[in-house]
Amino acid sequence: MNMTRRSLIAALGAGAGAATLAGHGLAAVPGMPDWQVGYANAPAEGFAPRAMDLVSGRLPDGFEGTFYRNGPAWFRYGAETTGHWFDGDGMVQRIALGGGGAVHSGQFVATTKHRMEQAAQRFMAPGFGTAGDESYPVASADDVNAANTSVLMVDGRLHALWEAGSAIELNPETLETLGIRTWRDDLKGMPFLAHPKVEPDGTIWNLAVNGPYVGIYKIRPAGGVERFDMVNLGAAPYIHDWAITARHLILIVQPWLVDRFVPPIVNALEWRPEEGLKLLIIDKDDMSKRRWAEVDGHAFFHTGAAWEDASGAVHVDIALYPEPYMGPGGGTNLMEGRYLPSEDEAGGVLSRIIVEADGRARIESTGIGGEFPVVHPGFHGLGRRLTALVGGHTPDRPGARRVSLMDWQSGEASHFDYGAGRMAEEHLFVAKPGGRGERDAWLVGTVLNIASGRSEVHVLDVADISAGPVASFAARYAWPLGFHGTFAPA
Amino acid sequence: MIRPTIQLTAVVLGTLLASCSTAEEAASEAAQPAETASLTISLTGIETPSGTIRIGLFAGQEDYEGGPGLTGAAVPVEGETASVTLEGLAPGAYGIKLFHDVNDNGEMDTNPFGMPVEPYAFSNNAPAHFGPAKWDAASFELSVGENTQDIQIGG
Repeated sequence: MNMTRRSLIAALGAGAGAATLAGHGLAAVPGMPDWQVGYANAPAEGFAPRAMDLVSGRLPDGFEGTFYRNGPAWFRYGAETTGHWFDGDGMVQRIALGGGGAVHSGQFVATTKHRMEQAAQRFMAPGFGTAGDESYPVASADDVNAANTSVLMVDGRLHALWEAGSAIELNPETLETLGIRTWRDDLKGMPFLAHPKVEPDGTIWNLAVNGPYVGIYKIRPAGGVERFDMVNLGAAPYIHDWAITARHLILIVQPWLVDRFVPPIVNALEWRPEEGLKLLIIDKDDMSKRRWAEVDGHAFFHTGAAWEDASGAVHVDIALYPEPYMGPGGGTNLMEGRYLPSEDEAGGVLSRIIVEADGRARIESTGIGGEFPVVHPGFHGLGRRLTALVGGHTPDRPGARRVSLMDWQSGEASHFDYGAGRMAEEHLFVAKPGGRGERDAWLVGTVLNIASGRSEVHVLDVADISAGPVASFAARYAWPLGFHGTFAPA
Repeated sequence: MIRPTIQLTAVVLGTLLASCSTAEEAASEAAQPAETASLTISLTGIETPSGTIRIGLFAGQEDYEGGPGLTGAAVPVEGETASVTLEGLAPGAYGIKLFHDVNDNGEMDTNPFGMPVEPYAFSNNAPAHFGPAKWDAASFELSVGENTQDIQIGG
């Protein structure tokens, strides 16, 4: 069984051929390495709904829902390249899974930035790694909102997220852009971080970050703001992600700090590891109850989730780096088809920060390399055993090739390696219908097959991921690599 | 990912637009020179048909970039358009900052980071850019006789 699945995946990689790429989807850039197709412009008109081919296994009974992903998908106007991968215009990919099949579609989010730059056919807006054009008017963050980082479903309403601007609402069926979501009139234009934390009951917590000032949203499952609070961190770190437990909010101040106010922001970030990695732990029910903890200076983009045990100790799953990754060189090299391990090496290691009730804190490393740690949504913030992530990097190109599942209780990890010809993206947990445990779930994730130039969707059984996918679908084209997604059960 | 610049925008925009209210109050019946100009400000694209549009007229670059304003107007809003005419102005260079005080509380409301949550605009429909529109983009000349500024305030 295991070998059969692997063989089918290998056959898919070898068989489709590069010709597929020429006729569909991405415009490959001549002279670029094969992996660069993951960073090529998507069609400006988007991808119309099209059935994907089932290439191995079968979609399990009861697997019904829509898998949405977001990522940068526009990188070039003629010879001009965007200043950083993170600055590409967001495109939401939609994969409807059910009835044994998969149908893909994708649309750019019609942001102000995307509309103005498409009209002018050149880059103008400043961003994370892009200086921008003086003539481009910036009245608010939403004028430079790339809407390219994640997606969030709230009570049937779909949103494209970016970290420094508003959520932008999309039609969940057609992906048509509906406009900026204002959560409450007095919060119009407040940033809405791309890593909202959704409790098992649907309550959403999220941050609005502006230098040292951090707003905290608590949003009801139906979308209304229950409360909004502000904290001052006393420093202006790069904040991409954070964590919650059942009782606490955990803001993480990494020593990658903004020290001046001029775009591109990546050049304004200063790495000061001697200042340590600090955690501000806030009581959800009484935000005046706050405590700080500190561990050695590390950089990070993503947490998996956090929880607290009976002793009051807080555990945070996190992909830690010895120093910042995707800084000034990283995202620019990828755009230009260069992979320099010294600058682009993804040295993230799945780790756990443990803050004891008395405030002592330590890092425990699993030694498992990877990124995009994810947990079962039914256990977010609660005690649990499992964290999934992707890793296993290939030396001569960026991207992950393997999905891993860490069992914190046994200390054992299981893996599935998609192989050297593939780039694996974030894999999400999908609860099985009626399933109660963490292992009563599937993982669903996208993989770019760089040999065939086709994007794939794979479903694995959490009970045994090392057996490989139970179902694999391939589009007849590729779409660009993305960041984060969500799965909306039918 | 441009948080710091937005913070700067909020501070500058908030401070300078606040002077609209000041300018409005400073309006006075000054002695009119023989050769004066009038200015009709036509406002379109109003999204909420209520409240007041508060207009500040600034005389010259220095006034526009931090002065109290020469005069102003408070225009009640009843539909998608509104207009007002200011009379007895001296010919010369001017700039306008205005906002739609939708809830009529006399202030330009802001979000917790200081960004406006009520619509605003500048003369020549000049775009805001990390703060109020630049003088070079927003300034216009008033000549003797009738003058107009058509300003879109919506969206």
